Amino acid sequence: MIRVIAAAAVVALFADDYLLRFLAEILLFGVAVMSLDILIGFGGLMSLGHAALFGGAAYAAAIVARQWGGDLVLMLGTGMATGLVLAAVMGVVVLRSGQLFLLIMTLLLAQMLWEVAFHWRDVTGGADGLRGLPALSLGPWALSGARALFLVAVPLAVVAFLVARSFIAAPIGRALVGTREEPIRMTALGYSLFAVRFRAMMVAGAMAGAAGALLPFVNQYVGPQSVHWTLSATLVIMLVIGGIGSLWGGFIGSAVYLGIQTYLSAYTDRWQLLVGLVFVLTVLLLPNGVAGGVRRWRS
Amino acid sequence: MKLPHQRLTRRLALGGLAATTLAAPARAQARPLKIGMITSLSGPFAALGESMRGGMRLLLTQSGERFADRPVELIVEDDQARPDDGVRKARKLIGQDRVDLLCGVIHSGVALALRDVVTEARMPTFLLGSANDLARRAASPFILRPTKTNWMLGSTAAQRTHQTHPGARVVTAASDYAAGREFVGDFATTYQGLGGRIGRQFWTPLGTPDFGPLLTAIAAERPDSVYVFFAGSDAVRFLRQWKEYRLAGRIRLMATGACFDQEDVLPAVGDAALGGINTFHQSPTAPSSAAFVEAWGATGKGLPGEFSTTGYVCGQVIRTATERSGGNPTDWPRTQQALFDAPVETAFGRMPFDPRNGQAILDIHVNEVRAVDGAMVNTVVYTFPQIRDPGPDA
Amino acid sequence: MPDALGYGAVQTLNALSFSALLLLNGLGLSVVLSLMNFVNLAHGSFFLLGSYVAIFWLGSGAPWWLAFPAAFLAAGLAGLLLDRFPFRRFYARPHLMQVLLTYGLSLIFADLMRWGIGAQILTPELPDMLKGVVFIGDMPFPIFRLFLIGAGTVLGLALWLLLDRTIWGAVLRAAVTDRGIVETLGIDTRRVFTVVLVLSAGLGGLSGALGAGMLAAYPGLDEEVLLLALVTVVVGGLGSFGGSVAGALVVGFTLTFSKVWLPEFANLAAFGALVLLLLVRPAGIVAPALRRL
Repeated sequence: MIRVIAAAAVVALFADDYLLRFLAEILLFGVAVMSLDILIGFGGLMSLGHAALFGGAAYAAAIVARQWGGDLVLMLGTGMATGLVLAAVMGVVVLRSGQLFLLIMTLLLAQMLWEVAFHWRDVTGGADGLRGLPALSLGPWALSGARALFLVAVPLAVVAFLVARSFIAAPIGRALVGTREEPIRMTALGYSLFAVRFRAMMVAGAMAGAAGALLPFVNQYVGPQSVHWTLSATLVIMLVIGGIGSLWGGFIGSAVYLGIQTYLSAYTDRWQLLVGLVFVLTVLLLPNGVAGGVRRWRS
Repeated sequence: MKLPHQRLTRRLALGGLAATTLAAPARAQARPLKIGMITSLSGPFAALGESMRGGMRLLLTQSGERFADRPVELIVEDDQARPDDGVRKARKLIGQDRVDLLCGVIHSGVALALRDVVTEARMPTFLLGSANDLARRAASPFILRPTKTNWMLGSTAAQRTHQTHPGARVVTAASDYAAGREFVGDFATTYQGLGGRIGRQFWTPLGTPDFGPLLTAIAAERPDSVYVFFAGSDAVRFLRQWKEYRLAGRIRLMATGACFDQEDVLPAVGDAALGGINTFHQSPTAPSSAAFVEAWGATGKGLPGEFSTTGYVCGQVIRTATERSGGNPTDWPRTQQALFDAPVETAFGRMPFDPRNGQAILDIHVNEVRAVDGAMVNTVVYTFPQIRDPGPDA
Repeated sequence: MPDALGYGAVQTLNALSFSALLLLNGLGLSVVLSLMNFVNLAHGSFFLLGSYVAIFWLGSGAPWWLAFPAAFLAAGLAGLLLDRFPFRRFYARPHLMQVLLTYGLSLIFADLMRWGIGAQILTPELPDMLKGVVFIGDMPFPIFRLFLIGAGTVLGLALWLLLDRTIWGAVLRAAVTDRGIVETLGIDTRRVFTVVLVLSAGLGGLSGALGAGMLAAYPGLDEEVLLLALVTVVVGGLGSFGGSVAGALVVGFTLTFSKVWLPEFANLAAFGALVLLLLVRPAGIVAPALRRL
């Protein structure tokens, strides 16, 4: 942990603005992927609507920020509250179904949110999205600029990681894995599958919401693409590349994906082919992603 | 993607030597002019983005990869028609590739998202994309816009309808998103201002697979004329089904140019587009674009559409900016002033820039789709000269 | 509204023709899902491949009706190759892994097709006999759509007969229920599964060929039709044959009439209705009696 903080401090001191902002974006996406991992990796709940939580919180934060300014505490509060509410709605609707039904229900729900964001021009800016956001601030200090954003994103990622790890290690987390592996036995043991899964959903919603709240400040913009199902699919791709079932794999996955997309696309139009190949090869060769591969190689 | 070579000529070497002793302009001459282009090479606008890049490349080739004797290096980045990706790419171009100028963008959301980023970075930008706001509330001193706004096409379509069919009852149908709302809104306001009657207004989701229900509803309305905005695959499906449902010929069809785009739509719909009227700043038969049309055709790509022309024009404007600023367009106030002072001759015609918002003033053509040697061609039947967006006054 | 009857009839036919397309599109996906418990998210790629094959075939001047078998064969061949590698290794894996593998493959196929064919929008040149129109009241309705409705019905019936009324279908269903017993009878079940996958891919290609007349073909269409197919199959109830038919009709009518009645909120209303339906019937309209969930 100390090494992580030291590394972050070094990066914050020496990296340029562009790189810091890029790293902050990777961290925010990483947190969202990690929260998705709780659902997919530990709960076996194949959601294709996670961008609704992540992007929904981004919209809420942007709307609140335009009204009352970009106070960090307010933003995180708004984001987490939005994430919780959306996760609760999604949970109530989808968690009684399983497998493909859950996948389609999350997809449909998320697309409904996209429809709202895309068409409610007065509030969300419609297809053009919202711009002209105030800078992020903490009390009297303005947190504008890439370095400040990075210095906010690092602790957020660390805290989110610790929360996720303790959730997974706690009895509720073990129960969640139980509902994935042996739902019938878990029911027989007196667990309510719905209650366990719903709690996982809430934790994931709060985490994705907190990360989403900062997303508008990376680009000073939020638009309907942030709640579109393709972003949900992108989060799944990041999760798989990083490693399903490994919390820190989420950060690796988002770094690999965003790295390929950002750096390769200037050299070749075929970068999507490359993303596909990396993805399929990961599924075929490293079923537990890069994180799983690293673990196997170490042991 | 191949990057243009950096030529290490004696001139360049001498320039480098001179730079240590001589004044700043000499140094600027030696260093290549780095232009960053952001466009959609994947996602729904992939074909348009390839055209835009192709137009720009053609101009660079014609100019010998040099503007005002300064070598030009073009770096093209893909925004996938997603604002967040577009902004990340813009930051990379600005922060890591250290480009001198930015240009490009098809998707209006990307353009609006870039607005604050380039303004904050004080990066001279030739921003395409056509949302009205780009010439209004989102105008920026660092942005010049060598393309249309949606208002220019919507309002002229209303004027044209009033000219040719005064009193016609017009029903509208459009994709339900920002651009569609702007085109139809500007059309309806202008048309009603001229005393015209607007009937029902239909909206369909972006990416509608089946236009049957809409076309049946339009047929039941029996309007004199329909004004539509669809683009890309929506336009292709709409026009083909328009013909399948036998509305072609029975109801007059008026559209924004994108619905009949010469490159993107017409080859796919064939004679289903025949007779369609549209207002557009681009036409392969416009006299101003004749030279470009020939050069584009010589590359084996057929007739150019909006975005190949836009890419080419954007290059022409940047070339002129470089020439007028003595090879140093990054001296932005001077460059801007030079472009405001005199119009630029482009493939879109004579293009003055409005000093209030950096928006181009354009000729808007009324095109009719006619069969020429079996191919569908947007043929200019009338031109509204030098249309200026109301800009901050709107 | 001068002719309410004709208007209603044509809108119903619009919905039916769209349902027919959804059925064609969903059948292939549904076949592998119900018979092999395999989720194939690359199904949209078969559809798009079929569209491209048909468009090039129709443009080449060869007899038009052969375009459909050609698309079936091309996509079926692709299915055959994929069955060899890597699908076969995933038939027994959990749905999650199947979803991931096939989604990744669909990304690759999408980009390969764009590489080979380009990003422009293509449409088929329909034969003259399908270009006409019939009038119902005084509202026009294209013959091509009647052809779609007919094709959907015929293919659906043929598939049902094949799977439900032939000895081959019986073997197949037996192999799904108890693979071991069928193997002891001397039947190579691996080959049975290969045939099912080829059939499914071929159906995808065939529906792409038929659908191109309505949807055109361009990069990204694969994803759009895949989503529609998934929604159709899931709403219908994962893979029972009657379920797919019911799903196609429900989705087709919901999407069409939401456009007729609530054009501005069409998708929102339609999605909401489908979610509601899945809430009321969490296993789809026609839930098969025994399913591993």
